[in-house]
Amino acid sequence: MPPNPAIQKLRQRIASLEDVPRRFSQTIPITEPINHWLPFGGLPVHCIHEVKGSSLAPAVVFAAILSARIAGDRGNILFIAPDRSLYLPGLLPYGVRHDQILHVIAKRPLDRLWAVMETLRCSEVSSVIAFVDDLDLTESRRLQLAAESSGATGFLVGGAAAGCIAAPVTRWKISSVRGEPGHRLHEPVWETDLLYSRGGRPGKWILEWRGGKLQEILSEQQPAYQALG
Amino acid sequence: MARRFLSLFCPDIAVERLTKLVEWCDRYSPLVSQDGSDGVILDITGCAHLFRSKSAGEEGGLLLDMQHRLHRMGIAARASIADTRGAAWALARYSDKQIVHGDYAIAALNPLPVEALHLPHEIAAELRRLGLITVAAVRKIPRGSLNARFGSTLPWRLDQVFKGAEDPLTPWRPAARYRAARVLAEPISTVGSAEYVLGDLLQEVCTKLEKNHLGSRHMDLACYRVDGTVDWCEVRTSKPCRDASHLMRLFSGRLEKLWADYGFETFVLSVVSAEALPATQFTFDQLSPGRNPIKDEDSFDMLVDRLGMKLGFHEVTRIRLRESLLPESSVEFRPAAEPVMANAEWPGYRIRPVRLIDPPMRIEVSIVIPAGGTARDGSPVQFFIGERRHRIVCAEGPERLAAEWWRESRSRWGERDYYRVEDDQGLRFWIFHHSGQWFLHGHFA
Repeated sequence: MPPNPAIQKLRQRIASLEDVPRRFSQTIPITEPINHWLPFGGLPVHCIHEVKGSSLAPAVVFAAILSARIAGDRGNILFIAPDRSLYLPGLLPYGVRHDQILHVIAKRPLDRLWAVMETLRCSEVSSVIAFVDDLDLTESRRLQLAAESSGATGFLVGGAAAGCIAAPVTRWKISSVRGEPGHRLHEPVWETDLLYSRGGRPGKWILEWRGGKLQEILSEQQPAYQALG
Repeated sequence: MARRFLSLFCPDIAVERLTKLVEWCDRYSPLVSQDGSDGVILDITGCAHLFRSKSAGEEGGLLLDMQHRLHRMGIAARASIADTRGAAWALARYSDKQIVHGDYAIAALNPLPVEALHLPHEIAAELRRLGLITVAAVRKIPRGSLNARFGSTLPWRLDQVFKGAEDPLTPWRPAARYRAARVLAEPISTVGSAEYVLGDLLQEVCTKLEKNHLGSRHMDLACYRVDGTVDWCEVRTSKPCRDASHLMRLFSGRLEKLWADYGFETFVLSVVSAEALPATQFTFDQLSPGRNPIKDEDSFDMLVDRLGMKLGFHEVTRIRLRESLLPESSVEFRPAAEPVMANAEWPGYRIRPVRLIDPPMRIEVSIVIPAGGTARDGSPVQFFIGERRHRIVCAEGPERLAAEWWRESRSRWGERDYYRVEDDQGLRFWIFHHSGQWFLHGHFA
């Protein structure tokens, strides 16, 4: 179904009011087809993304891969969690360096939110991965503003059952899926589900981590999503 | 310069109250110690001029101030000031003279009973039995005879009292080199006004620190209430720091928690530990117009401080890799505020999960045993976590891990055979087999 031109026009007007193109002009690549799919030409930095997972492990790894790309060689990655379950040796193959991670534990959700806010305000932080869920509109906008002012990027990670962030720029769901017969377990396969992106359409891809980079196996952009978008 | 000691004698004070009183006396001098079970001793050398009053002079002013406040708190006490600790002790307890200088101490002490020398009980009793009842009588006996009769204790004690022989005072807490104090005319009870005073104190201390190229690692603020109780708040930083506005931000969270009650009348800020912090020059970039010249507000170290102050410094950590085969001991969470230690290289062929379950979780696993094999050769086919069944479609292993043989305490888990498994839903796990039991130890992505 071709989009209604009136709606298209309205969208453009809203976009110009929201200043979307300028705010999200700086991006990092994910994979070629996803970059094209996203309205920003890649994953925008200096903003808030939500990453859900079928279990926490794939969500953390997806956020870590993107964080490592944002941080490069020198940036700091903050990891804010309620416990010490993160096992760093398991993250090393995904491009994260052990000395760029600062691990912060805050058991209470309120403390965690406070810590995310403080770290997002710091201009020497490139990326924050935090176990935060269930944020209302005000809280998530405040995080967004903090990220924009300092230039840090936030990945708010949660399990399948966790509540949603009200206003992220993109929302992902990463599910571990079975690989082709004969694949190795340290080269995982994920169903990468873009549930929401501001000003763009949802989409779904099967990605594999092989040879130190993300690769597409096949994409199934579901017609139902396109109609919605 | 002659040293001056103040001895405070509170005959009927409870022990808990006395320790509070020692803290409270910190307002007069940094060198304060509890003296026995009924008094406090202060080294007030160089402190008295802060309490000068027109009518009573310096030390008199201090004494007046102290007695006035103690009276208000309902504590019965007598205080005396003298050149030696022993003389002050004796005067406070056995005389009504309050301030004694130099050799006048001898005249003041002479008529006092021998107990005023603060001697062990049996020596005092022996002196009395010999008819030596006053201090003057003891002083007349030649030193050699005293030595022969009573050992070295008595002559040494006389030296301490009259000649200022070494009589050390162990302060209840180390004296701070850098401190600043404000005594307020009227008590204050709002956070805003306390912050104002603290800002002043920080400015003063930070200027002193800057002159000496130091930065504070740990400072504390003593807040004295009108009713004689003291509240403390302390601030630690991960790196030496003398930025008043940063320290102010760290303090402000603490100040809100103080309970002012009737109001605070005195604040003392002391630097408990300081480290070298050379002066730094601003870059041209920082000084360019329109920019805040000191853009330390959002530096990474200050972020670590803020997180550490709120959550505890042991919760803000770097992760260190260690040389160990055991998964649980090959990483170590070290406080970010501590110096960096060398990291081990992580060999790429060791495939590890992203999340570790500590301690490992007991699971039920079904295995297939090849023909002619034993249970040890079996590979897992399915397992249960709680009620949920995971059918294994792909397994890699076993990888045998054990504590290094040279370690003294071998892990209670001994040798473990690890498998990386994938279930029919695509979830990936790290499970191990150890003496007939299976455990879940981690999640792969």
